[in-house]
Amino acid sequence: MSAIANDAPRDIGDRQLAAWEIASVVSSMLIAEWIAASVAGGSRLVVAIPITLAFAFMITSHRLRSETLRDLGFRFDNFARAGMLLLIPMAVTAVLCLVVGRWFGRRPDFSNWHAGTPIIVQLVLGFGWGLAQQYVLQGFINRRAQLFSNQGWLSVLLVAAVFAVLHLPNVWLVVATFAGGVVWALVYQRAPNLFALAVSHSVMTWVVVSTLPTSALHHLRIGFKYFG
Amino acid sequence: MDTRSKSKLGHLLIAKSMAEALLITAVAVGFYFATSNPYLRGVVDYADNHAVAGWAVDEAHPAARVEVQLYIDGIFVADQAAAEFRPDIREARRAEDDRHGFVFKLPPIPPGDHEARVYATHVSSAGARRTLQLIGKPLRFHVTAVEKGDARR
Repeated sequence: MSAIANDAPRDIGDRQLAAWEIASVVSSMLIAEWIAASVAGGSRLVVAIPITLAFAFMITSHRLRSETLRDLGFRFDNFARAGMLLLIPMAVTAVLCLVVGRWFGRRPDFSNWHAGTPIIVQLVLGFGWGLAQQYVLQGFINRRAQLFSNQGWLSVLLVAAVFAVLHLPNVWLVVATFAGGVVWALVYQRAPNLFALAVSHSVMTWVVVSTLPTSALHHLRIGFKYFG
Repeated sequence: MDTRSKSKLGHLLIAKSMAEALLITAVAVGFYFATSNPYLRGVVDYADNHAVAGWAVDEAHPAARVEVQLYIDGIFVADQAAAEFRPDIREARRAEDDRHGFVFKLPPIPPGDHEARVYATHVSSAGARRTLQLIGKPLRFHVTAVEKGDARR
């Protein structure tokens, strides 16, 4: 059974360990975004090393904690429930993006994500990319945050803050990912389903790219590449 | 989670941290060697209101000419290949031939204290990066209102 489902009091060692696990994975991502990307130039291999280390660590951690794929959210039984929970926040965010975009003089263009690629292909690729991000964010960090501070706002805000920090220095993305991080972390704590979150991630990325000012989004660049 | 698993996870955290520390070190050292030339040697011999002169040799490629750039008070003035006749450099066994000197003729410079810096250019990443490396030490010189500058090393 999942480690977080156990309501028995946890010793301080477990909480500390969970905090260190979060710090370790976040530091790997920051190393990839800022250090490896800045000095390695076009070498994706150097950037891939800390990412690979982080994934190897997360998988080993799941095994040591006896977490199953179902525990992490790779499941379909609660897909509809998670989808229903996501529907209203997604609709509200989409309307908000449209209003903000219009405020800054942007006319929405839903064919502009990757010009020349069919939108269905873009959404499928976005789903894969979203699934990877949501796995790290919810399947690992959210679960460890719950070990650290139980379910609730503290762990939700921690997850959202981590997601936002990983999108520095792109201010618009920091704001968008913090808001998205709060919603996704809340939904995951109620209905842990990574597939529904990945669909939401993909669709909301499409909405953000299609509605918010292109110059402000800076081609969704983050980390050192933001300046390149 | 049992104690044994916790211990394994702790060891894993330490191992991962060490691997990342090694990666960062390797990347930093690699970046240093990619963006600078540790075999570059050279000196700025003198600087006055007429000229700045010295020599530069890449000891890894002693037959090659080093490209140098002159900056006065931090402002780019001129560049050239260090290919002036300097037999003393070969006699000191710094180079294989006599042509590793540079002499920059200066444009008119306003009176006052000035600083001359000469940099060698270093190309890396198949031309994607071009970095500057200081040759010797910066030389300060003074230009009087009448004329005549003096050089101090």
